[in-house]
Amino acid sequence: MRVDIKGFTKPLVESLVAIVIGILVGAIILAFSGYSPAEAYIALFNGALGSKYGLAMTLSSATPIILTALTFGIGARTGLFNIGGEGTVYFGAIMAIILTNLWGNVLMGLFGGILAGMAWMAIPAILKVLRGVNEVVSTIMLNWMAYFIALYIVLQKIPNPEDPNKTLAVPVSARFPIIMKGTELSWAFAISVIAALITYYILWHTELGYELRVSGYNERAARYGGINPKKAIIWSFLLGGIMSGLAGATEVMGRPPSYAISQGMANIYGYGFDGIGVSLVGRNHPLGIIFSGIFFGMLRAGATSMQIEAGVPLEMVKVVQGVIVVTIAIPGLLDLLKKVVRR
Amino acid sequence: MEEVPIIEMKGIVKVYPDGTKALKGVDFSVKKGEIHGLLGENGAGKTTLMKILSGMLHPTGGKIFVNGKEVRFKSPADALANGIGMVHQHFTLVDVFDGLHNIILGMEGHGLFSKIDVEKAKEKLQKLMDELNFQVPLDVPVEKLPVGVQQRIEILKTLYRDVDVLILDEPTAVLTPIEVKELFEVLRKLKSQGKTIIFISHKLREVMEITDRVTVLRKGELIGTVNTRETTPKELAKMMVGREVVLKIEKPPKEAGKPVLEVKDLWVKGDRGEDAVKGLTFEVRAGEIFGIAGVEGNGQTELIEAISGLRKVEKGKVILNGKDITGRPPRELYDLGMAHIPEDRIHMGLVIEMSVAENSILGLHWRKAFRGPLGLIRWDKVKEHAAKLVRDFEVSVPSIEAPAKSLSGGNQQKLIVAREVSKEPEFIIASQPTRGVDVASTEYIRNYLIKLRNENKAVLLVSADLDEVLQLSDRMAIIYEGKFVGIVKPEEVTEEQIGLMMGGIKNES
Repeated sequence: MRVDIKGFTKPLVESLVAIVIGILVGAIILAFSGYSPAEAYIALFNGALGSKYGLAMTLSSATPIILTALTFGIGARTGLFNIGGEGTVYFGAIMAIILTNLWGNVLMGLFGGILAGMAWMAIPAILKVLRGVNEVVSTIMLNWMAYFIALYIVLQKIPNPEDPNKTLAVPVSARFPIIMKGTELSWAFAISVIAALITYYILWHTELGYELRVSGYNERAARYGGINPKKAIIWSFLLGGIMSGLAGATEVMGRPPSYAISQGMANIYGYGFDGIGVSLVGRNHPLGIIFSGIFFGMLRAGATSMQIEAGVPLEMVKVVQGVIVVTIAIPGLLDLLKKVVRR
Repeated sequence: MEEVPIIEMKGIVKVYPDGTKALKGVDFSVKKGEIHGLLGENGAGKTTLMKILSGMLHPTGGKIFVNGKEVRFKSPADALANGIGMVHQHFTLVDVFDGLHNIILGMEGHGLFSKIDVEKAKEKLQKLMDELNFQVPLDVPVEKLPVGVQQRIEILKTLYRDVDVLILDEPTAVLTPIEVKELFEVLRKLKSQGKTIIFISHKLREVMEITDRVTVLRKGELIGTVNTRETTPKELAKMMVGREVVLKIEKPPKEAGKPVLEVKDLWVKGDRGEDAVKGLTFEVRAGEIFGIAGVEGNGQTELIEAISGLRKVEKGKVILNGKDITGRPPRELYDLGMAHIPEDRIHMGLVIEMSVAENSILGLHWRKAFRGPLGLIRWDKVKEHAAKLVRDFEVSVPSIEAPAKSLSGGNQQKLIVAREVSKEPEFIIASQPTRGVDVASTEYIRNYLIKLRNENKAVLLVSADLDEVLQLSDRMAIIYEGKFVGIVKPEEVTEEQIGLMMGGIKNES
């Protein structure tokens, strides 16, 4: 295996610096809002890491956002700014519910997620290849279309006759087994890690991945090198679609207690957007994404205990996440810091 | 009496953040009113030294004196305030602005809403141009102007800021021979007005022609400063590369074989939809180098892109080994025995962010030798391949895992040549194969092209460097506005005749 240690150090340090800055700025905001930062963070980290239960919650929270981060990461590594993961998650979840209700096993559910993800992501791919539509514009708009189409399906087509607050549930036979009793951690987590490893292998160890990366860096060089950049664009979208589709599928197949989509889709909303931040902090690298996904999962898992024990509202955690993402997203800021330090 | 030099740099050291030592304690001094050449191969540190002098980079160590007074530049503005301005190799113009607005950019006043006194600026510029005896159109967007004129705007831009010391970074790299001549006239005029000029170049002939003194750098170290009148090109070349350069290239006579590439009545459009190639017909035979000379922008780029499958052919045919390849994609062409050294190594020939190893298989990455099961790439084989290329072609690389951008221009080009040759082609396109490449690499690449010819390959050479085409070609065509003015044998024409043909004037004698 080809792991270039030197190449990893710099991004790793930058991500860690961003995380520290995020936590510090979060502390300042907490203090200004009248909370004790120390108390809040202790509650957060204790809640997320201090017990087996917390750890399990951390990993289960990481599951969907690792997958949606892979969508963005694959795009970023291949020259696309693909933010269509959000909408894709919905269809992945819906298709998994439909197929598992027809054929009650795990494989059909995963297949449903993959199929829906690829189908939905094919739309921006075709628009870009045939008409040159910028994927930022198309995926933003498709996210909204996805939201309302999915809402319609959830409310009208697959309602749960026994519980008006959710859709049909994934049958027991197609659910991921729970790893630790009493927690939400299921084997779905393994799916996300495996997906990240496979993504790494595809991008860095296959001919397709090589072509995708060359196209991402430099389209002219790709064409010169006998690569069809249009083919690369389509593959990038489809692979990305698979990941977010799986995020939706694993969410309904692996998260107790409902195993369904709740009314208003509250339980599957927002993962696509969170994935962008996870990917950025993970430097758009599949292996980095596993770790940053777990870190973000920790913030999510710890947020609850922060609320209960320190009385800090959940939204504060979002603020910390936001600061980290913004810090990472401004590479120039770090360069600037370096200069200031040198002088 | 010893005159105080206008510029004196002492013990300049520059270490880049990635640890590269670009300058290892260089002393450099320039007398007022001279044209001072700064000579060295790519990567010798010429540009770095001048970027330090112009305030763009901060030295890691060393001192700078202007007129005997120590200075410390925080930014280019500080350098300008001390009368030092630099014209960069890659122009810093706003494409859509006209010449006037480009020149006054950043000088139009300090408030966000302060008024720009365009008329006054125009007047001052006109006076400046009259003094220098050259004119540039001030009201045309610069993107519509030829490169030579854009460069003059850059020079004007610097002079407009009242500099005494003008630094020119490889100013002739992008110019045609006529434009070079005109530039030199401007430089002499500036000198007669008492300006000091630092002229960065790696072209011996130009340095010999224009400079008063020359400083030679090699690998970040000062080799020496000499009076131009007291030296020879041979001596300078030796200082530059540290050994005697074989400037002559051995080319044994050889009978050409059957045609390998045939181009028939080829028409190709340029980027703006104009006809760039207008009905060209020629053939390249096995065992010959067919050269195309001409001023850049006369359809060479479009012709090469059409042959190599990167640009649409409007009309006509391209035939490789008897097979019609018109409009076929590059991948197919490579499999049919074509290789292509592209003119733009940074944006086309290499993916500069990727490693040497990854670049070593671009365009042959689908070959069986690198392919494992399930479409996996066998990186062990790729590394072996890359290591072999680096060894066989003496490419100097930190490691084959290093990104291609960490190589010097000459080594990048050698890497490309090595890779293209490793495709084992029968027909190879070499487009500007030695542009911006240091002397040693140039010599290597030229000799290699001859070697390919001797091995009975067909070579199509396109170059703006007339010497190169004359030296290497068995037959050569002169292209002008998309058509061949003539196809000649290099030994049967004089440089003057070719010069005329490059200007579109047919040889009548």
